[in-house]
Amino acid sequence: MSLAEPQSRFFRPDRALLIQAAVALATLALVLGPLVPVLWQSLLDRPLYEAAPLFSLDNYSRLFGNPRFHDALGNSVLLALLSTLIATVLGVAFALFLERTDMPGRGLLRNLTLWPMYVSQLVLAFAWFILYGPSGYVTLAVERVAGVPLWDMYTILGMGLLAGTSQAPVVYLFCSSSARMADATLEDAARSVGAGPLRALWSVSLPLMRPSITYAALLTFIGSLEMLAVPLVFGKPVGLEFFTTFLYIEGLGAITPDYGLIGAAATLLLAVISVLLVIQGLLLRQSKRFVTVRGKAQRPKLAPIGRVGWVVCGAMCLYTALVLLLPLAGIVLRSVTSFLTPLMSPFDLLTLDHFEVLFGYEAYRRAIVNSVIIATFGGALATLFVAMVALVAHRSEFRFRRALEFVALYPRAMPGIIAGIGMFWAMLLLPFAHVLQGTIWLLMLAFTMRGIPMAFGALAPTLHQIGRELDQGARSVGADWWTTVRLIIFPLMKPALFSAYVLLFLAFLKEYAAAVFLFAPGAEIIGTTMLSFWANGSTGPVAALSVIQLAITALFVTLARRSLRTNKDV
Amino acid sequence: MSEVVVDRLNKHYGPVQALHEVSLHVPDGEFLTLLGPSGCGKSTTLFAIAGLDSPSGGRITVGGRDFYNGASGLDLPPEKRNLGLVFQSYALWPHMNVRQNLAFPLRLRKVGKKEQDARIEEALALVEMGAFIDRYPHELSGGQQQRVALARTLVFRPSLLLLDEPLSNLDAKLRIKARSWLKQLQRQLGLTTLYVTHDQSEALALSDRIVVMEKGRVSQLGTPEEIYRRPANAFVADFVGASNFLPGEVVDRNAAASTCRVKLAGGDVLTCLWPDTSAPPAGSLLTVRPEHVGLSAEPPLPGPDVNILAGRILERAYLGARLLYTLDCGHGLVLMAETETRVEGDTAWLRFAVDDTLLVRA
Repeated sequence: MSLAEPQSRFFRPDRALLIQAAVALATLALVLGPLVPVLWQSLLDRPLYEAAPLFSLDNYSRLFGNPRFHDALGNSVLLALLSTLIATVLGVAFALFLERTDMPGRGLLRNLTLWPMYVSQLVLAFAWFILYGPSGYVTLAVERVAGVPLWDMYTILGMGLLAGTSQAPVVYLFCSSSARMADATLEDAARSVGAGPLRALWSVSLPLMRPSITYAALLTFIGSLEMLAVPLVFGKPVGLEFFTTFLYIEGLGAITPDYGLIGAAATLLLAVISVLLVIQGLLLRQSKRFVTVRGKAQRPKLAPIGRVGWVVCGAMCLYTALVLLLPLAGIVLRSVTSFLTPLMSPFDLLTLDHFEVLFGYEAYRRAIVNSVIIATFGGALATLFVAMVALVAHRSEFRFRRALEFVALYPRAMPGIIAGIGMFWAMLLLPFAHVLQGTIWLLMLAFTMRGIPMAFGALAPTLHQIGRELDQGARSVGADWWTTVRLIIFPLMKPALFSAYVLLFLAFLKEYAAAVFLFAPGAEIIGTTMLSFWANGSTGPVAALSVIQLAITALFVTLARRSLRTNKDV
Repeated sequence: MSEVVVDRLNKHYGPVQALHEVSLHVPDGEFLTLLGPSGCGKSTTLFAIAGLDSPSGGRITVGGRDFYNGASGLDLPPEKRNLGLVFQSYALWPHMNVRQNLAFPLRLRKVGKKEQDARIEEALALVEMGAFIDRYPHELSGGQQQRVALARTLVFRPSLLLLDEPLSNLDAKLRIKARSWLKQLQRQLGLTTLYVTHDQSEALALSDRIVVMEKGRVSQLGTPEEIYRRPANAFVADFVGASNFLPGEVVDRNAAASTCRVKLAGGDVLTCLWPDTSAPPAGSLLTVRPEHVGLSAEPPLPGPDVNILAGRILERAYLGARLLYTLDCGHGLVLMAETETRVEGDTAWLRFAVDDTLLVRA
């Protein structure tokens, strides 16, 4: 009854409307900027910057007639399915054991399980390569004992293991809340009719989590489709091509890139992911009917699994060590040794050469500085921008606020590499765009566009929690929309702004895929520099850069946690 | 001058019509209460006047100035209306202390620092909260928050005071104290006040006049006594206080005396008031309040100004000062009587004045 209805049918050219329109137009430009050139190019018979193009579907027929693309498509689907399977099984098992049972070490393991989310997939791929790659430390050590190499990371199975384990935290995160809130009396009922504790978990708790499992699995599938790092590190050397590496190689490898083919392939990938996102949205709407939590407060009860708990705890510790801690230790060790082999003690090979290389050359120093600037200032600017988008979408009478929210959330469907290609092409098309070309501003724009949905997701729930009467109160005592936003809502959403900033900082620091088409001398970042070192086979500097990125991440996360603790009352 | 004129206000939420041709006229300095059950449109009306809820048609004028005009498309934003609105939840900004909460509207009006301090002190003194000036909202009790919320609206001297169920979050005892205090304050300031509540006793105690609303329409507008003594229809009679309803058939009408005679299902003929100039429509109901029904063990003396019925006592409830009887008067007619008289035995005579018996539209 007290909801403010839109007053927009009356045109009032005031400051509120100007700001709201500016925010909406900026969002539209940011999202359509890279999207339109890709769609446009896919229908043109020549590069989009050339005059007098003809429309045709020729690009699509060439794409579908290209056997390399067939392979890439098949490999992508296979890898995505495999990594989704692995990530889902692991993530759901973590959720069940960590949230529903009394296994020992839950507190520590909950934290450890989430750690891979802080680490860039590119760094994780390098780290795995150094340990488990064909000439990796562990691979060779095992080969010396067994006589033959026991595994091959240059396969879809190997890549699936890495991609799956690196995305398991996402599944765990999605399923843990539903596991935590599940009604323990349902499990008790199963126990009372004769089921053991593990049987009750399997037959009752697991099926109740089905909506979150499906949702998380779809998310992982999309994540695996748009993943570039793993296929690049483990697929490219043996000629295994995927959707994203196809775009990468076509765009960067060829002397004269086939614009039409790239456009068509990118459009296809966009279409596939968009469809998956629509399905996910429908699932989410449906899952709200799967309510196991009721208003009545219930004490969460954990299933006692006794000795099995110690076995699971041991398995999880071993797992974390193998997929995360050992590879990270390996990459740290690699960064301070001239090479890494089980045949020689690493302490005889210690060197600071790799760091000297990084700090000795202006371009490498600049890459590190740029990454920090982009994460620190770009992240802050992006946070403010997305906060404005969220405010206009949720706390204004702006006529197109629903459409604005839709546009703002669309970048979820845009893989980093396509965002990069699209931005690059937009620079070719737009007048005056060259002032941005080769600057870190362009990178910030691309990263911001990619980051909108995540930051929006962090801010919107808080906005819903701030009572509407607080802004109505301000309006009624004489504040206009903008004053209300600045002096009432912004201060109240400070904690949410902070967490959105943390998310964006880490995302901007880790981002590389959107940058590979956009960086230029002067605007390098850690990710692109790592890739160029990698292309030259210089593993040492790659390891050193990874260590630097990890150190910045660790420092930032520590600082963020500390200030979050002291700011709790805000 | 801050006379409020609301003229044929409409409000649609999609297919639902929340307000239906609502018209009000509030003279300067009056305390007017919008009373009704939840969903009747009282808060929608208040928020439309405040500018926080856009109507679909009609006109709102305050102090001769158009705030909303559906015909010309004018809809003044809330911040341009200079109205003091007190929210049900108080809406004190949690990140500002009492002083900052009160200073905010003054800062917006570019009031100088010195003047600000003086006015904040004055407003807090008015609500007797001067000692709490440096507290944050979460450090105040519900009653104190409510006073601060009121001070925040008084501090910028609004032309109109709008109150949205401001007492509903207080406990019963505090509510009655706050009620008399609020009334006194309003008298003292002479501010035109619109008050929204669903509590009929609050409305009767506070208001100069009451608007009873039902399903987005104005059911009746009148003084508390008019509303209570002469409800315009069965809804008002039922919502404000409790009422007995007696179905019957109008047998004749005395237009000069504004009375009717009505025959009940059991054959008894009762006399009642019908103040309207037109004939009563079919389906109209006789109504009499339980507290106007007297009981006696012996048959009372009949007379032209009194109605009499016989009944069997079904239940006696002890209310403290009074007793509430439930009586079966035959033919499915069950009446309540609230009286100090103690009647023993199974049967009793009911007696109520014609002046307390009203014929109302269903």
